[in-house]
Amino acid sequence: MNEKLKELKLRRDKISAGGGPKRVEAQHAKGKMTARERIESLLDAGSFTEVDAFVEHRAVDLGMDKTEAPGEGVVIGYGTVSGRIVTVFAQDFTVVGGSLGEMHAAKICKAMDLAMKIGCPCVGINDSGGARIQEGVDALSGYGDIFYRNTLASGVIPQISVIMGPCAGGAVYSPALTDFTIMVDKTANMFITGPQVIKAVTREDVTAEALGGALVHSQTSGCASLMFSNEQETLDGIRKLLSYLPQNNVEDPPVAVTSDDVKRSLPALAAVIPDAPNKPYDTRDVIRQVFDDGDFFEIQPLYAQNIVTCFARLGGKPVGIVANQPKIMAGVLDINASDKASRFIRFCDAFNIPLVTLTDTAGYLPGVGQEHAGVIRHGAKLLYAYSEATVPKITVIVRKAYGGAYIAMCSRHLGADQVFAWPSAEIAVMGPDGAANIIFKKEIDEAANPDATRKEMIEEYKRSFANPYKAAVRGYVDDVIDPADTRIRLATALTMLAGKRETRPAKKHGNFPV
Amino acid sequence: MLKKYRVSVNGQSYDVSVEELAGGPAVASAPVAAVSHAAPAPVAQPVAVPVAGGTAGSIKAPMPGTILAIKVANGQAVKRGDVLLILEAMKMENEICAPADGSVSQIRVQAGTTVNTGDPMIDLQ
Repeated sequence: MNEKLKELKLRRDKISAGGGPKRVEAQHAKGKMTARERIESLLDAGSFTEVDAFVEHRAVDLGMDKTEAPGEGVVIGYGTVSGRIVTVFAQDFTVVGGSLGEMHAAKICKAMDLAMKIGCPCVGINDSGGARIQEGVDALSGYGDIFYRNTLASGVIPQISVIMGPCAGGAVYSPALTDFTIMVDKTANMFITGPQVIKAVTREDVTAEALGGALVHSQTSGCASLMFSNEQETLDGIRKLLSYLPQNNVEDPPVAVTSDDVKRSLPALAAVIPDAPNKPYDTRDVIRQVFDDGDFFEIQPLYAQNIVTCFARLGGKPVGIVANQPKIMAGVLDINASDKASRFIRFCDAFNIPLVTLTDTAGYLPGVGQEHAGVIRHGAKLLYAYSEATVPKITVIVRKAYGGAYIAMCSRHLGADQVFAWPSAEIAVMGPDGAANIIFKKEIDEAANPDATRKEMIEEYKRSFANPYKAAVRGYVDDVIDPADTRIRLATALTMLAGKRETRPAKKHGNFPV
Repeated sequence: MLKKYRVSVNGQSYDVSVEELAGGPAVASAPVAAVSHAAPAPVAQPVAVPVAGGTAGSIKAPMPGTILAIKVANGQAVKRGDVLLILEAMKMENEICAPADGSVSQIRVQAGTTVNTGDPMIDLQ
């Protein structure tokens, strides 16, 4: 037995060493941890159990019969984050460049299948040179198996992709199919075709970083949900993200202990909003005051900044917040904002996280660019996502809510369960300037002094229509509240709605305007 | 102290043993379906703020509008987040801020200029 135990240890040590000290050193030199170090840092100390360490590839072509790949270039298993189980896989760049072959993919699929069986989040850490070319179609089959599972798991368990190195070609589609893609600044890249192929085909000269770095995907393409400056901060960020999420779609999100009283009054909140409706402010200042301990966790903070999407807690219970950001581009709704918000809303709905919407927007962004890029179908996503959502939906109209944007921002008409308005709310079919020009066109044209008359008419419209009461009269707004009471009113409404059950017509699936 | 009971549930009988622990309430090991336990509340983790990125270069108009005021002068050093100019658009006075630290190398607009999406307004270096 002793001999056999010795052999077991020998075999295991060899696998745990990954690609060997030289390659591990090279990994460290790039500011990157090894696959095992990453898993250890992500999970609670000592909680990791490895699965499938002994798996080997069975490729023989093109010299693969002589290639050893300890652990098949990917570490999989399970462990806990803040005491809650997750399954993980982490590609090991030190072993054949973390390349994906048949058995490598089979290991990843096992981690995903396990997560689906027990109903827990699956975190995948990507650091791979791409398909293992020597394995040919078997490698492609591996990618396909992963995509298929990503899709089936979507909306059942939270799936988080972490990019900690190269992620190119087919490999990028697994992250794209998951709920969150988190990148590390400077060391992570994602692209379908790399700089060399682009150079050859289109003659464009671009670096990997400028093409698919963390900043580009966070700011420009919107493919990344979050980015952090180094690997440790990234892993800490994932732990924080998981703290808001339930284990699966039939569980409620985890409640945290807080000393922040839900009855806390917010006397300073009204002062955040400038009196003049054309002055901007930071909606995050509102969020900070209303929710527990001034804490919130933004998703896509650098993309479509004219809308803020974040997780926060109220009375310890997680909520998903969608808020127009008047500070950026007048808080307009445009293609990117609709895209960002609707994806967030669908995530919250899938995982039983109530939605709180804070409305203050100048409306839909006009422009040929927007229209030609399809703002109609992209803007429709927001309507669809809100209407489809059956989680508790509460809306606070802080200031401007005009026309289509009023409807889109989770109005009563899209199924909001409770709509509150501050006295500063302006809810009308269109803004005073435009409305006055149309309604009072004749009076203005015929007046001795058209400009003075126009101003007068605008004022008249403002007095009569730019307020929350026209909507409250119809019951579209449930109550007009003092901003100071926003926290308690939201908390009470959320408690009231805790038992909400709403069903939708039976169908295979809707046809979301993608 | 160990006590044995026979309990009948829906016609099915079970042998149950009950042990009385010193100073504590009796604990029964009843053969009922296990109650699913709520996950313990996770301990809040300190989290790093996502890197707020930006690069110097030409600051372009994010949407069509009119320049209301320029808040910086040529050659002036600015920090990330400093207000460079006010762009009136969508009936809002939008503050256009520096995306990165740098200095103003060229101001391409003045108060009253109308700009379209993508028009360069101020160059930073």
